[in-house]
This record gives sequence, structure tokens and C-alpha cells, in this order.
Amino acid sequence: MDILLLLIPLSVVLALLIGAGFWWAAMNGQFDDLEGPAHRILADDDRPH
Amino acid sequence: MRRKSAAYDAAHCFHCGEPNPARMHWRATMDDVQAVFCCAGCLAVAQTIGAAGLSSFYALRERDSVPRRDDGVGDAAASEAVAGPTRPELADDGMASVALLLDGIRCGACVWLIESFLQQQPGVLGATVNYATRRAQLRFDPNETTLSAVLAAASRIGYRAYPYDPRRRERMARRESRRLLLRTSLALLATMQVMMFAVPAYVSVDGVDREHAALLNLASLILSLPVMLYCAAPFFVNALRDLQRLRPGMDVPIALGIGAAFTSSAWATFTGTGAVYFDSVTMFIALVLAARLLELRVREKAGDALELIARDTLLMADRLDAHPGGKVCERVIAASVPIGSFVRIAAGAPVPVDGIVVEGRSSVEESILTGESWPHSKAVGDRVMAGSVNRDSPLTVEVTSTGSATMLAALSRLVERAANERPRLAKLSDRAATAFVVALIAIAAVGAGVWWFIDSSRVLPVVFAVLVVSCPCALSLATPAALAASAGALGRRQILCVRPDTIEALSRVTDVVLDKTGTLTTGDVRLTGVTSCGSMDADRCKSIAAALEAGASHPIARALADAARDGSVVARDVVAVPGCGVEGTLDGVRYRLGRPQWVGELCRAPVPMHEVAANEISIALGSESAWLAWLRFGDTLRPSAAALVASLRDMGLRVSMLSGDREATVRHVAAALGIDDWRASASPDDKRAYVGALQAQGAIVAIVGDGINDAAALARADLSIALGNAATLTQWTADAVVLGSDLARIAFALRAARQTFRVIRQNIGWAIGYNVIAIPLAACDLLSPLAAAVGMSVSSLVVVGNAWRLSRLGRSDDVTDRTNRARHVADSDLRTAVASIT
Repeated sequence: MDILLLLIPLSVVLALLIGAGFWWAAMNGQFDDLEGPAHRILADDDRPH
Repeated sequence: MRRKSAAYDAAHCFHCGEPNPARMHWRATMDDVQAVFCCAGCLAVAQTIGAAGLSSFYALRERDSVPRRDDGVGDAAASEAVAGPTRPELADDGMASVALLLDGIRCGACVWLIESFLQQQPGVLGATVNYATRRAQLRFDPNETTLSAVLAAASRIGYRAYPYDPRRRERMARRESRRLLLRTSLALLATMQVMMFAVPAYVSVDGVDREHAALLNLASLILSLPVMLYCAAPFFVNALRDLQRLRPGMDVPIALGIGAAFTSSAWATFTGTGAVYFDSVTMFIALVLAARLLELRVREKAGDALELIARDTLLMADRLDAHPGGKVCERVIAASVPIGSFVRIAAGAPVPVDGIVVEGRSSVEESILTGESWPHSKAVGDRVMAGSVNRDSPLTVEVTSTGSATMLAALSRLVERAANERPRLAKLSDRAATAFVVALIAIAAVGAGVWWFIDSSRVLPVVFAVLVVSCPCALSLATPAALAASAGALGRRQILCVRPDTIEALSRVTDVVLDKTGTLTTGDVRLTGVTSCGSMDADRCKSIAAALEAGASHPIARALADAARDGSVVARDVVAVPGCGVEGTLDGVRYRLGRPQWVGELCRAPVPMHEVAANEISIALGSESAWLAWLRFGDTLRPSAAALVASLRDMGLRVSMLSGDREATVRHVAAALGIDDWRASASPDDKRAYVGALQAQGAIVAIVGDGINDAAALARADLSIALGNAATLTQWTADAVVLGSDLARIAFALRAARQTFRVIRQNIGWAIGYNVIAIPLAACDLLSPLAAAVGMSVSSLVVVGNAWRLSRLGRSDDVTDRTNRARHVADSDLRTAVASIT
């Protein structure tokens, strides 16, 4: 069970990294519009007319 | 998403999906499809979209997504007028940027269409639309184009855009909302991980190894620390402020509880003795934050919708050419009236400008400005303010100040009121929760005292078990969450709760009083029927009548133009004879449309027999040779009126109808809708007295109305609901505003409110039952702190989950199903009703 001595700190570090990533995303406005981009990526075709 | 071309049928308009008229005149090839349109407006919008190479919009959009048809006239001017005070900001590179509020967005394809189309406009550097908030950020080169040109472009493809000033307050609100989202999510993330660290202690039989337990506790501490310091910071800040003001609110017990639990857990972690409660602490913080986030989102949405209404109801002023003795020379946007000129304010109209009364005497209601609903009487020399409402008789006012500033200030008060007030019930449950927490601390103290004498080593576990096992969530979390969730569900159905206590009032309603004109009926004159009395078929008669009236703009001409969209028939030599009708020539034949006697002079035949229902007027159409037809006009029932009455009945509500209209008319409508209890020729005072009489019998009365005449009754009723297209006044005094004309929404609102209160009662029942059992158990040391933490967490999840169910109201099938069934029933009723009227 000594592996826990590695895994538990690792999980803490991972959680903190995820938290930091989330911080960056929220403060950059990634969550301001949750629906629009999903549609936009589907709509963005450049076929000539 | 589906391809429109595959599903397209020629019976419906390619653009808006409305049924096409029998003769299809508007055709175009769109994307290799022969498209047919219902009117020239739709054709123009579709061609603009097609010419811009954006016709794949039609393939991408969702079913009901229709950009508004181009209203054309006035829009650009109106936008420009609003744009006046909102000058675009100039960036360092000389480019202008402006925030826009968009109306008409219904699905993601609209976002794409607007962005692509605006970016094609000359001088536009960038356009980004936020689908969630219906707002756009536009960047353009002010040397190449103007804001109004861009706004006009948006209106050409059927969307209205209003320049919008993202005030400082709003920017701060957005930052606040982002922070709350971040706090909630980080707390949830930490909760998940801390829970995982706590699982070994919950599931192991002989206990976790000492060394592993220490490591798990330390890991939990590290993850809980940011939650305590960042996520929970608002609780501590608010608690401190509350204590300074000596007015403890909900945040004080929260701060105390999490502070104490965290400190003791940290202490236990370092000393290696005692229990840790990191999982309970983080979960509690996450749940409370989640409930607050939900509430904030709902309030933001309600505020946005109200702001849009405010922008949509641009104030217009009737300017006089001279005073005294002047007449109305032009109708202009209030902001552009020159100071010192004179405007006429009709009875019932909102006052468009600040000014001084120079003629007339009336009472003016200033509730929007002062909150006082009693009207003030105004005479010559008195000051009137923009945003108040002139009630009794026309006034002439000399303008002292104009600009949207005054009006917008007033309207933003309404928006703020809706956004910032907490419902009475939420306040009540806050107070109850505070009392609950105080009582709880007392119980914990007593328990500690008792256990001190029995077994001093058990004091700490018992106190914590008592503090942790109790769950005030039903009061502090679930009630606000339930109210917010149902307000959100109502908002999605375009029902705006203007006052904070609206949902509570809705749930208690026993009687619904409906206004007739403008509520159950559309309030416009419509062509209700054509009876042919010669050889010519009714449709042809309708086309001829429409052609004769094509140049006119009175209500009957408009009704004819709406009814006969076929514009191919053209009349020549049209002469309007005042008081009689119109005369004109089509294909060499002279026709007359108007008063029977006058038409009879042309036909040289006696007036044929016909019957006119009480609520209709009829005019005759004849040619040189024969009588052709009777055209009947009337106020038509809204299609959803019968559905509303039926579903209100189903809910066990008493339904009555009030109208200022003639008795015969009201009797017809009442019979058509199956309303037994009705009053005709009711004056405003009668209506108010009627509502008062119902209340005297113990009824909780909701009144649905629109007209100025309803204001007194609306104010008297326990709950007032205004239709969104109703006169401005009632919107301002109403508790709830229903946008659009679908009356079924009113029944939905009542049903949703009842459901909300059922859920709140369930939650409180659950919480009382749970706490009554759990707290004594914990106080008697029959519950380990571990079990207490699990019990509390499960209990909060139950109540919050139960409240969350409400946000799905109106999406869930059973509600829609019931509505649909009611609508189906109503449709057949309506057909009978229409048959009985016509």
C-alpha cells in the first residue's frame, strides 16, 4: 500500500492543476456563452456561392 | 438539425413557415429549391440572405427559428435615435466599437447569420454575438460606415439591434457572475476530491492505517484550504459586515459553522486526534454557492428580458406646430423633440418628456418614478416627468428636457427592482434558518454540558455530530433555489415575474378574472367573414375589396390587406367618399364598397337581407350590375383563449370575465368560451368593486388585463398579469408580464407556481422530519460524526435536487402533454365558438 504515498499527493497536485486551469478559463470568458460556439462550429462552412 | 430543402413543402413560406396564401406570387430559387414565400417581406429578407451567400442558414436553423420579418419603416430611425446618447467608443487605432442588444435571435443559426452578414458589410471589422445573453460586440471603421448603416443592415435580414451602453455597473455584475461561477466550480471540484479521500474512512471496517489516515487528512486539508480562503470568502466578508451592523443574516451561522468545523479538522489533522469534517465543509460551501449562482443567473435573465422590453417601447411624442391653437404636426421620437416646443399627451399615454403643463387638467401616475401608485392631479403650470403616465384627459406640455436619460432611468428602476429584491418567502426562510441555527447552537451547548458530566471524552464528537447532522438546507438553500428555478422556467416561457413575490401569489390564486378586449380577443379589427350574395365567390370579393382599399390606412383597410395578401388585383380611379365608402374601377367594372344604401345606389337594387352578429360591423360590396357580398369585421378571439379557460377550469379555478363592452358582445364571447360569470359595460370602478367583492368572500384574485381601464382593478387584485403587447401602463403596475399572445402561458404560470410550492412544502416537511429524528440521535451520541456528515449531505442533496426539478418545468413531457391536450380540446371548442359568432 506504499503506492498510496505517491498517489495521494499526485491526486492533490492534479486537482490543483485542474483548478488553476479552470480559473484561467473562467476569467478569460470561456464560460460566458456556453451555447453559441457549439452552433458556430457547425455553421462555419465556407463553400462558395 | 435538418436540411430545410429536404423537408420543404410549397404550402408554407420558405422563410417564416407560415401557410402561404392560395395564390402564390412570391417565388425565388434558393439553393436549387423553388421556394415560395407568404409575402414580399419574407421574400426580401430571404433574397438579402441569399445574395450574401448565406442561404445555408435555412439548412442550419432549428425548426421554429424565424428571424422577424423586416418591419422596414422607422426601424433605422428608431435605432439611430437610441444610438444618439450611446456614442461608440473609439479605440486607439481609430476604430469604433459598440455593444448591441439583439432582438429576434432564436437559435444558433441566427448567431451565425448575423455574424457572417454583418462582417460582409463594408467597414465592419468584426461582429461577435453572444448567444446566451443576446448581445453583440461590433467593431467598425467610423470613416467607412456609420452605426446606423450597420443597424439598418441587421434589420434587412430581420433582426433588430439596439446600441447598448454596457455601464460600469453591468461590467462589474459580469465580473461578479464569473467569480461566483469560478468559486462554485472550484468548490465542487475540491468537494469531489475531498469526498474521495474521505471514502476509505467511511467504508473500511477496522479503520484506516494511522499513517494513511494522516496523509489523507493532510491531502484533504490542502484541497480545502483554497475553498475556505477563496470560495467561502464572501460568507466571511458578509458575516463580518452583518455583525458590524448587528443584523445577523444567513451568512453568520454559515461562517461560524464552516469556520469552526474547518479549524477543528485542521487541528485534528496536525495533532492526529479527533475527527475531520473536510468533506462536509467543502460540500456545504459548494452547495450554498451553487444555489446562489442559480439565483443570480435567473435574476440576470429576467433583467435582460425587461431591458429588451424597455428598448422596444420607444417613447414617441406628438409635437404641436404652435401653441396655443396648434395641431399635431408630427410624431417624433421623444429624444429628438426640441426643448421649448409643445407636445400633446393623449389620455392613457406615457409622458415622453419632462415639461410644464400649458393646457389641460388631468391626473398623472408617477408610480414608476416614485413608487407611489396614487395619481397626482396636474393643471396648468405643474411639472410632469418623463416616464409617468397621463391617465384622464389630454395635456399640452412645454418641453423642458428630453433625452432617453430620463426615461431609461425610470425603466432601469423597474429592471433593478426585479433583479435585486428578494422574495418575501426567501427572506422568511432566511430568518427561519437563522433562528434554526441559533436553536441548534443552543442544543449543542446543552448537549455538551450534559455530556461533560456523563463522559467528558464524548463532548467534542457529540457537539460536532449535532452541528453537522442538522440540515438547514431546506430553508436556506432549497426555498430560494425552488423560487429561482421556477422563475427561470417561467422566463423561458416568456413569463416575467416583475415583483419578487409573484410566484407565491400565483400559487395561491383561487379566482381568475379575465379582461375581454385585448386579452381574450386580439383587440384589432379583423375580417371575420365574407358572405357572397351574388355569383362571385367570396375570395374574389375579398380581393376586390382589398384592391379598393389598397391606398387607405384606416383599420378596415388594414384588416382587408391582412386578410387578402394577394396583391395582384389593382383598382383604378379609386375615389373615397367620406361617410360612405370607396368607389373604383377594376377590369372596366365599377365597384363600390361601403354603406349599404350608398352601394345600393350603384347596384340599383334593394339591400339584400343579412344578419350581423352583435359584435361585428358589416359593409357591403356591389358592382354596377349586382350586389356582391357582405364583409364583416370584428374583434376576433385569440386562438388560445378557449384553451386558457379550459385549463384554468381543470385546475379548479373560478373564471370570470369583465368588459367595458356592450352586453351582447360580451355574451357572445362568454358563450363561446364557456364562461358563466361575466359582467358587461363595466366601468373601471365596477371592475375594482367586482374584484373587491370576490376578495370579501375570501378569494385570492388574479386579474389578467391590458387596457388602461384595468389599472384600478389590477392594483386592487392580489395578483395582476399583463400581456406583453398590452398598454404600457398596466405593464408597469403588473406583477407579471406575459410576452407574446399565447394565453396558455398564463395557465402554465399558475401550474408552475403551484408545483413550486408543493416542492417547497415537501422540502420543509422532509427537513423537519429529518432534523427531528437526527438531532436527538446525535445529541444522545447514537450517531457518529461520520454518519452525521453523510446524513446531512444526503439530506441537502435531496432537498436541492427536489428544488432543481422545477427548472425542468415546461420541458418535461407531462406538462407539455397536458397543455397540448388542452389546446386540442380548445381548438375544437374554438371552431364551435367561431361558428357561433360568424
